[in-house]
Amino acid sequence: MEKITLASQLLQYLITGLTVGSVYAMVAVGFNIIYNVTEIINFAQGEFVMLGGLIMVFMNVAMGLPLILAFLATIILVTLVGILMDRLAIRPIRRPSVLTLIIATIAVSILIKGTASFIWGKDPFDLPAFSGRNPITFLGAVVQPQYFWVIGFLIVTAVALSIFFDRTIIGKAMSACADNPNAASLVGINVKQMILLSFALSAAIGAVAGITVTPISLMEYDRGAMLAVKGFGAAILGGLGSFPGAILGGLIMGSIESFGAGLISSGYKDAFALIVLLVILFFKPSGLLGSIEISRIKRF
Amino acid sequence: MLKIDGINASYGSIRVLKKVSLKVPAGKVVSIIGANGAGKSTLLKSISGLMKNSTGRILYKDRNIVGIPANRIVGLGISQVPEGRQIFAHLTVRDNINLGAYHYFKRSNRLEIKERMRRVYQMFPILEKRSKQIAGTLSGGEQQMLAIGRALMGRPELLLLDEPSMGIAPLIVREIFNVIKQLNQSGTTVLLVEQNARAALKVAHHSYVLERGEIVLEGLAAELLDNPKVKEHYLGG
Ligand SMILES: Nc1ncnc2c1ncn2[C@@H]1O[C@H](COP(=O)(O)OP(=O)(O)OP(=O)(O)O)[C@@H](O)[C@H]1O
Ligand SMILES: [Mg+2]
Repeated sequence: MEKITLASQLLQYLITGLTVGSVYAMVAVGFNIIYNVTEIINFAQGEFVMLGGLIMVFMNVAMGLPLILAFLATIILVTLVGILMDRLAIRPIRRPSVLTLIIATIAVSILIKGTASFIWGKDPFDLPAFSGRNPITFLGAVVQPQYFWVIGFLIVTAVALSIFFDRTIIGKAMSACADNPNAASLVGINVKQMILLSFALSAAIGAVAGITVTPISLMEYDRGAMLAVKGFGAAILGGLGSFPGAILGGLIMGSIESFGAGLISSGYKDAFALIVLLVILFFKPSGLLGSIEISRIKRF
Repeated sequence: MLKIDGINASYGSIRVLKKVSLKVPAGKVVSIIGANGAGKSTLLKSISGLMKNSTGRILYKDRNIVGIPANRIVGLGISQVPEGRQIFAHLTVRDNINLGAYHYFKRSNRLEIKERMRRVYQMFPILEKRSKQIAGTLSGGEQQMLAIGRALMGRPELLLLDEPSMGIAPLIVREIFNVIKQLNQSGTTVLLVEQNARAALKVAHHSYVLERGEIVLEGLAAELLDNPKVKEHYLGG
């Protein structure tokens, strides 16, 4: 009996970890999309998640839109924020260097956060779970149905993105921009449009993460920064720029956090993942799935 | 086909091209020779649209193309093979070649793209063998072939080549120059920039010598080969 409870306890930590990790993975994927086209780290990535959650609450709870409509409307709105961010903050920079652009993304994240606290105040908001809150018991572990939604959406985004980047000419063109923007324009690629598209895509994915996680962990205006740090850690852990790496990195970060909180102390849960990150980077600086060869060519 | 009319270009306050004028008649190979830093690459970039602050007139098929962005110029029929190849290093050889057709990449053009790809592979069989390899891992000569192949996918009527022989073994240089000749014979107009003056003058019909941003000499390529000044400065005496 004792043994089974320990096993089910561990299973519980694992499932929770994978769920939280899925959110980190989606944030990491968002980082990678923009990074792969521009070599910029977009520090406003976490704000897309926060906006996704809060706008969804507004659409679904305050406006009373049905789930699917609210979901679509939220994604469209957050995507619009991503597009505006590129048009108003990134593109106007006269002589863009990677560093000035990154600073611009930090400025945008502060602006978004400020606006959100103005609109929604400082309290966390709840969102009804997509298919109720009756937990399912699975080998002794208690699983919220919403967990499946989070993990499911990660799988859907991962599959859709890998098809997009591996199979379509636009996906290839986006990668070409990161490799060599001048050569990309010589074959007819509109590099600015591709950058815009990368911001739109990663805002949309951020929104999906925010929408699906809010029923589990609520959402408030200042959640973005921590999500960005964890997602960034996941991206680095998996190897910056690698999509499978981002997913692996996110799931590992989430699991470590969950096991650390359960087995050691929940007070330090934010520290565990970052410590593991540092240790892994010490042994493999290019990240788990990043290739050393490629990381030498890259600037970060 | 191309008529450059007093073009100026500068980086900040440094003037790199000073009232350069030249002509590239349809169906010909024209070459530009000049020392390092003479402004040859800058001139090609002004034509292809990468060099944004050039002034003057560049008439392509009687239309001024100064100020049109690079990603639209390729659609007019001008493809550039940039200096130092500049392939998409993280993508496969095949992706690089496909991206060459980006500006008309549509389902309805599928057959044309296939046919052009077949011709590129026929010209450079090694590329077909390496088609799934990551382009950054190709040898220098193979990368140059890939850069040319990618440019050919763009339906060029005018092909701009920037130092295709740079850092490449003599045997491969000969292969590449043969391809240039073949392309020209099948109707492509070529503007070629080269440090390897001897090879460039042999393949070209007409040539210009660029020095510190100015055209100092021009003439039939065969005549320039015998010109004492050219011999001394560019052909090693
Ligand atoms: N991006 C740039 N910023 C500032 N100066 C530049 C830039 N690119 C080129 N230059 C300068 O412009 C001048 C002409 O350069 P360009 O590349 O056109 O020469 P080139 O004739 O192609 O030389 P090479 O044979 O070495 O390729 C050089 O003095 C160079 O230093
Ligand atoms: Mg040059």
